[in-house]
Amino acid sequence: MIPSLLSFLIFLPLVGALVILLIPNAQKSAFKWITLAFCAAELVLCGVLYGQYQINSALQYQFLEKADWITLSLGSLGTLSIDYLLGIDGISLPLVLLTAIVMLVGAISSWTIESRPKAYFSLYLLLTSSVMGCFLALDFFLFFLFFEFMLLPMYFLIGLWGGPRREYASLKFFLYTLTGSILILIVMIALYLSGIDPVESMATQSIVHTFDLRYLANGHNYLPDSILSPTGEVEILGLPSRMLAFWLLFIGFAIKLPVVPLHTWLPDAHVEAPTPVSVVLAGVLLKIGGYGFLRIAYPLFPDAANEYAFVLGALGVLSIVYGGFNALAQNDLKKMIAYSSVSHMGFVLLGLASLTTEGVNGAVYQMVSHGILSALLFLLVGVLYDRTHNRFVDNYRGLLIKMPLFAVMTGMAFFASLGLPGFSGFVGELFTLMGGFQSKVLPFWLSATATLGIVLAAGYFLWTFQRMFLGPFWAKKSQDLLLLTDLTLREKIMLVPLALLALLLGIFPNLIFNLSDKTISVWIKIFE
Amino acid sequence: MLSLLLLLPFLGFVVLFGIGQRGNSWAGWLAAATTLAGFMVSVSFFLWPDNQPKNLVFEWVTLSNQNFTLSFQLDKLGSLMLLVVHFVAFLVQLFSIDYMRHDPNRWRYFAFLQLFIFAMLGIVLAGNLLLMYVFWELVGLASYLLIGFWTEKPRAVWAAKKAFILNRIGDAGFLIGILLLFHYAKTTDFAELQPLVAYTLQLEERTFSLTLVGLLLFCGCVGKSAQWPLSGWLPDAMEGPTPVSALIHAATMVAAGIFLLARIHFLLTPTALLVITIIGTITMLLGAYRAVFQTDIKKLLAYSTISQLGLMVLGMGINAPVASLFHLFTHAFFKAGLFLCAGAVIHYVSHQENNKPDFDAQDMRQMGGLRQALPLVFVCYTFCAAALAGLPLFSGFLSKDAILSAVLGWASQRGGLAYLIPALGLFSAGLTAFYVARQWRLVFLKKPQTIDLEVNNKQKTHFVIQLPLVLLAALSVFVWFSFNPFDASAGWFFGIFSEKTTGDFHEIVAVASVLVAVGGGVFGYRTAYQTFEKPLPDWGFWPSFDKQTPNQAFIIPSFRAFAQRLHYFDQRVIDLTINGLGYVGVIGAHVLARFEHIFVDGSVNALAWLAQFAGNRTRSLQNGQIQSYFVVALLGLIGFIIWFST
Repeated sequence: MIPSLLSFLIFLPLVGALVILLIPNAQKSAFKWITLAFCAAELVLCGVLYGQYQINSALQYQFLEKADWITLSLGSLGTLSIDYLLGIDGISLPLVLLTAIVMLVGAISSWTIESRPKAYFSLYLLLTSSVMGCFLALDFFLFFLFFEFMLLPMYFLIGLWGGPRREYASLKFFLYTLTGSILILIVMIALYLSGIDPVESMATQSIVHTFDLRYLANGHNYLPDSILSPTGEVEILGLPSRMLAFWLLFIGFAIKLPVVPLHTWLPDAHVEAPTPVSVVLAGVLLKIGGYGFLRIAYPLFPDAANEYAFVLGALGVLSIVYGGFNALAQNDLKKMIAYSSVSHMGFVLLGLASLTTEGVNGAVYQMVSHGILSALLFLLVGVLYDRTHNRFVDNYRGLLIKMPLFAVMTGMAFFASLGLPGFSGFVGELFTLMGGFQSKVLPFWLSATATLGIVLAAGYFLWTFQRMFLGPFWAKKSQDLLLLTDLTLREKIMLVPLALLALLLGIFPNLIFNLSDKTISVWIKIFE
Repeated sequence: MLSLLLLLPFLGFVVLFGIGQRGNSWAGWLAAATTLAGFMVSVSFFLWPDNQPKNLVFEWVTLSNQNFTLSFQLDKLGSLMLLVVHFVAFLVQLFSIDYMRHDPNRWRYFAFLQLFIFAMLGIVLAGNLLLMYVFWELVGLASYLLIGFWTEKPRAVWAAKKAFILNRIGDAGFLIGILLLFHYAKTTDFAELQPLVAYTLQLEERTFSLTLVGLLLFCGCVGKSAQWPLSGWLPDAMEGPTPVSALIHAATMVAAGIFLLARIHFLLTPTALLVITIIGTITMLLGAYRAVFQTDIKKLLAYSTISQLGLMVLGMGINAPVASLFHLFTHAFFKAGLFLCAGAVIHYVSHQENNKPDFDAQDMRQMGGLRQALPLVFVCYTFCAAALAGLPLFSGFLSKDAILSAVLGWASQRGGLAYLIPALGLFSAGLTAFYVARQWRLVFLKKPQTIDLEVNNKQKTHFVIQLPLVLLAALSVFVWFSFNPFDASAGWFFGIFSEKTTGDFHEIVAVASVLVAVGGGVFGYRTAYQTFEKPLPDWGFWPSFDKQTPNQAFIIPSFRAFAQRLHYFDQRVIDLTINGLGYVGVIGAHVLARFEHIFVDGSVNALAWLAQFAGNRTRSLQNGQIQSYFVVALLGLIGFIIWFST
């Protein structure tokens, strides 16, 4: 048993970033090896975590770490207490594992970064650190800190190493997310004013406010006359304050997920971002939106989640169908995958909104599955882009002839993403949809509409595959003929394990469900 | 043992795909041997049903409130299907060894065939609908890979995609049905559903849900079995290699829909059955009608398959599942035989004429006189064609007769309009005989048009081509199914399902169908020389799902127009709003900056100026002279004194 394992997970990459900063620029090639080593160590630690995590433990959170961080007396307002509080449960564990895997693969994919490697790799490790922090923090303030901190490396990674319109894309990404953060911040302050730490308050015989999400998820820990009290009747703008607070949180996280119509930063960010950043963005960062729903918006405001289930489910279905249609209209391969991400993340929202065991487990599963598959897809685009610096579908035909292995991998990834049974995509869609059908709060036709998404997925993936890979070989630019070579060893090393993982999870979905189910069976009780 | 059946083709797939090009020389033999072994095992299951293995159950997903298991089962229906699938697959692979011998990628071809067999066996053995759906999709994948096997042929890869997407549309309905069933019954196991449904059928308020579920599940059949309105993919699927058409698009995969209906027959309500009957009738008629106008040897067979599948669905709809399955059985053999004959013909013709550009080796108008060139193929084709046309003494007659007499029985119970359906059934049987006779004459008997017989006579066919043809032709004769050439009800097939009769109207239907088949055949034979180049009717309101479409034009473009409009909306409305907000922000910021510059900054400046001014004014007070300091201090002291004393 390693003590403070979770802290190690968060701060190990940070140490890596410092190491990189200390090494002189002359040793350029060392940077990527150090990054790789730290990401690999991160994965090993996650393996230890997975091994030691007890599925059937009675504890809600495991590996808890708590330290008093900031304690301020605010006079008549009581005491402000912010803790350094980490813990893990069946919801965050799969996502932490996913993060470690995607980050490692992203590090391998960063091999081709040539300009300013020192800055790039230290920012990359910083990003790893803050993402891990997001998934492990149980204190709202701490979570928010990591959530905000993530923006910084991401902004620079897109803005400095991106494509031609990188400034526009990175600024758009930054502003969008920042807007969401402000909404979250507002709710955080309101929560702080309303919630108390019952243990500390009892011990000190005074009011001790807290950001501890474990306490905030319990309606009894709210001051009776505070603005977010479950029993209070405060109204703001004609809406009960708790409903408003839920919507603010929802919008904040929905921007990240993303939910239509708050999604337009995503295609731009993906198109401009360098391949590894796209991989991390789609593979991990979008999941923080879903995780925010699961950890914060839903458990803190179960009444609102119940009340607005239909609207939430409808937004999920809108994302599925709307994203699917938009993906069909794309000529840029990266944009097509970006819109397919919108469509696939819609399933997460649908599963959550259903408030059923199947649906919520399916949502967690779908996040992991999409993390793997979207990372795979963006890596595959990167393979092509590295060679020709061109991602447009109609520039190529019959690539199967020139790059058979690449074509086979892409075909596998496409079929896995369109929900072919045997791959993980199918299980995620099946269970989120099943949640939709079992749900007491969603109508039957809503989930039935969502199946349009799986038809559209077959349409845009297979159509793209047909146009790019099948038929007689042809490329728009004649110089591309020489550049189009099949996969290298490094590319195989990052692609094959991801594809195998998607296959493994598709055949044995219990690998994820066993982790999430226990936690979610408790989680779901507050909605009944 | 059940797992062995699945493992064999799966390992075949893995090995062949893994070894790749090096396996080209023996891939076909290995594949055929694997399937032969599977056939042996399934024969043993069939002959000694007592030894049939128990069900296999896997825990797939365990959630706190529900478990999802995957189970395999084998029953009478399943063991029959095992025989068909293995037998036809074995013959087709044997045939392919010679047919594909010049293809540099035949290792992949045989690997995909093994994948298909694996998936198809999965459908047959699946014990619940969830597992069936899994294999259902895998069959779709295998079909996609095989239709588009010649990846450099644009039309073939296009057809593969079309097939997969049209199937997906049906499958979406199928999936909704499965999920609804989970919602209502908490299980999709056939064995567990049966008592539940029997109970539910008695409750009136639940019949609507059950009808809905039944019809949604039927959507899966509509896609896979090429029923109207999703039938458009099957004729285009003929772009694939011909043996694939024989196996997948005639004998097995398209029969999966019928098999599904047989599996779920117990939960279909009368309303659902009526809809199924109507869809089957429409498909049967449209298929037969379109087959009449074909000039492509394979497309004609494809439309004929659609029509026959319609007949089977019709049989299911009017509650005659055994008759329907019987037709599935006989059809699998004679239609596979016909396709393989067509394959032999195409193979032959294309080898003779490959020096001519723009020569279509599948155009029946360019053929003729092949009776002399390919005598064995001619004989086999004649047997299979006679079965398809429904001539007495052949298997097709028995099964068609069984369905049609059941249809007449069904109609007589309902009266009125219901009689239309047996009449249409007879009519389409006539059409069938018509187009079969026409094809027969055009391909084999007509004076040779373009093919040089002198060269052709030297051609020898390989025994792996001959054996499948002979076996399938032999199976088109009645004796294998019933010793009575006019009535199958006493045969073993109805025996194992313990259904003894084919209906009360058997005699009249038998006579009528003989008349219709002979009449249609003679008419078709006589008019064979007339060209039927009338364009197919084009119902503009129906978006190309179901009609012949030129290259690239099909469902996707029509969807795509919408998709592009939506993307336009995405960019021009949503994104513009966001950018607009950004601009408003920036403009606002500029306004604010101006305001700041003039007022806020101005007032700060003003304050500073005021301070400076005051400083300047008061500076003269600090002139460094002690005396003036003293005066100031004194004045101050006086001031204080006055202020305090008042």
